[in-house]
Amino acid sequence: MANRRLLVKRLKAVRNIRKITRTMELIATSRFKKAMDRATEAAEYTRKISEIVGDLGQADLRFSHPLLEKHAEEKRSVLLVLTANRGLCGGYNAGVLRQSIAHLRGLRERGVDVSLEVSGKRGIKFLNFQKIAMAQSYMHFEDKTTFAEVNVLATRYVDDYIAGRIDRLDVAYTRFESSSKQSAVVETILPIASLAGSGGGAGSGRVDYEFLPSAEEILSEIVPAAFRARLFKCFLDAIVSEQIARMVAMKGATENADEMAGSLKQQYNRARQAGITSELAEIIGGAAALG
Amino acid sequence: MADLRLVLVTPEKTLFDRPVASLQVPLFDGGAGFYPGRAPLVGRLGAGVLLLRGASGESESYFIDGGFVQVKGPVVSVLTNSAVECGQISRRTAQQQLTDVLGERAVSDEEYRSKARRIETARRRLTAAGRE
Repeated sequence: MANRRLLVKRLKAVRNIRKITRTMELIATSRFKKAMDRATEAAEYTRKISEIVGDLGQADLRFSHPLLEKHAEEKRSVLLVLTANRGLCGGYNAGVLRQSIAHLRGLRERGVDVSLEVSGKRGIKFLNFQKIAMAQSYMHFEDKTTFAEVNVLATRYVDDYIAGRIDRLDVAYTRFESSSKQSAVVETILPIASLAGSGGGAGSGRVDYEFLPSAEEILSEIVPAAFRARLFKCFLDAIVSEQIARMVAMKGATENADEMAGSLKQQYNRARQAGITSELAEIIGGAAALG
Repeated sequence: MADLRLVLVTPEKTLFDRPVASLQVPLFDGGAGFYPGRAPLVGRLGAGVLLLRGASGESESYFIDGGFVQVKGPVVSVLTNSAVECGQISRRTAQQQLTDVLGERAVSDEEYRSKARRIETARRRLTAAGRE
């Protein structure tokens, strides 16, 4: 008897959890769609920037800018780790943290002074637990991160890099490759390795541009702009990937809860049937004894 | 008549993408106006008001803060960090921003330059808030 009541209780609990995970899945789905739209809209800016860079390339210009130059020695570097503020998103945070810890060790072994900057409560908690010191921690980058917020960081990095206070900037985040594949990576974004790859407008042929004030001036402005856009893209990628990870994790949890509820229900039915059978047997036994 | 198309892009989204009759942009050293058939150009923008006139003569104005303009064929692309419709800027906050910037301390040359630049931006924002 007691067993049956226990089963009912567990069944209720499992069903409640299922409701919660199902809701979280739906919320993550809608947030993912919003984040995805933002990321697609932001891609337009990057595309335009690389188009202009491509145009500059036609102007017979040597690409030289302090942000493109590698410093002679790497002494101080910054590692920016982008994690989520919330958990319950499968291996999302763990993946990023694993990559960044490995990277951090590698750099420190080579004698580079790494200052660690972490965004997201999950990352901060983990590093506190590991007793790894952080230079900065941010918790205000949520799923509606604006360019202005990221720009504050970007401006600081640009100034530090040009002034020689840092020699390298890495970002550990989850790169969005497609909606079925995201991978945790550590990318070096300063010094800028290449400007915009192939450089946009190849098909349209040469266009004779007038540069105001001059191609060099435009270049010196567009390199930081490209960097800012790149950093912003890292944040957007991280946000999209987080929602996908949460969606997948919650889908799995909901399915598990369904399965568990099914097996509990079956157990309960068996226990109930066993109870009825034994009661019947008792009655029949009693009747037989009387007759 | 050839047509002209304005694409206004910020890092967050494309704010504007439709045909216009003419437009004026704030370049780093003054204004520039574009009519259809403009020769290709890439220019650096300053802070100021982007004024555009639609096909039926209505006009819209946005306050933009730096960036680039690219003219290629009939398409004018304006890339900027932030663009706000002039009607959305409140005079009071613009005034407050100017007072804040004016109150900042600048010691080194670099700081002084950056302060001067921001004062200029704040002044232009205030002027933009006044019109419409």
